[in-house]
Amino acid sequence: MENELKQLIIDTLELEDISVADIDSHAPLFNDGLGLDSIDALELGLAIRKKYDVKIDAEKEDAVKIFSSVSTLAEYIQAARG
Amino acid sequence: MVLSKAVDFAVLNWNAWAPGVSSREDWLGGKAFVQAEKAALPATAPKTLQRRLSPLARAVFNAADGCRDGDKTLPIVFSSAHGEVNKSLEMLQSMQKGEEVSPTAFSLSVHNAISGLFSIAYANHQEITVIAPGQDGIAPAFIEALGLLQEHHSEVLMVLYDEPLSDFYPSQPFALNGPAVCALALRISLAGNGLPMRFSRSPARRDDGEHALQIFSFLKFLVSDDKALALGNHRHSWEWYKK
Repeated sequence: MENELKQLIIDTLELEDISVADIDSHAPLFNDGLGLDSIDALELGLAIRKKYDVKIDAEKEDAVKIFSSVSTLAEYIQAARG
Repeated sequence: MVLSKAVDFAVLNWNAWAPGVSSREDWLGGKAFVQAEKAALPATAPKTLQRRLSPLARAVFNAADGCRDGDKTLPIVFSSAHGEVNKSLEMLQSMQKGEEVSPTAFSLSVHNAISGLFSIAYANHQEITVIAPGQDGIAPAFIEALGLLQEHHSEVLMVLYDEPLSDFYPSQPFALNGPAVCALALRISLAGNGLPMRFSRSPARRDDGEHALQIFSFLKFLVSDDKALALGNHRHSWEWYKK
């Protein structure tokens, strides 16, 4: 699941120079880590909805926590799909 | 600024990009464009931004970067008739197919998208204007830039750019489509070392096409030995004169 998510991140956000192995599951996705921004978060949210049928409400308070790393994102998607 | 009068200014530096064009002779002689060529990106553009740069944005970055004066950031006047309208069209067409709109595509489709990317890449917090001159060609950008100089900015960067419109839009009988992607950057001041020019209204009633075509006319004028260039599009005409 985590590797699948990493590939989704790379493809969706056109991170040409980055491979799955370069992304640390526990490293922050935004700002410091991969350097993604709020538009990337929206784009990623859309891709996750399309692929996993899981909706992450960007306005919800825990969105920041859910998006904090590949590992937290994978956990949330797995829990939401039951 | 009273525009019935002439306004003097100096072009301190300029730089332009169009696919396959590199020399003075190329601009003068109407060399065939190499449509597939993409503008090289300046090293200054951060990696995370580079993936968001369209061919038109790359042309803007390329032209503007060659006009910089060290690390000094300047007020900028961007001017484009069509901007990223082709991106808007793609979005509308995907909506028509029932697809969801990409937030990234939306954010990059607005008229000031390229100026936003540019200001982030260069950490430019100066006054930045993006003009959509409609049928009025390149003159409104000069009026705006000369106005900023009158407001005590010592230098202004102008960037005029456009790309050909998608075939979806009717181009006839309008003269609004340029032959290729093109970006022209000019660094100007009221006085200084450079090419001294005078800008004024022209009484002539003429039709030289819209912005995308006028960029090429102005470029030819810059590299040619011509002393004067008049450009108009039905309503108003303007003259640039090399002093």
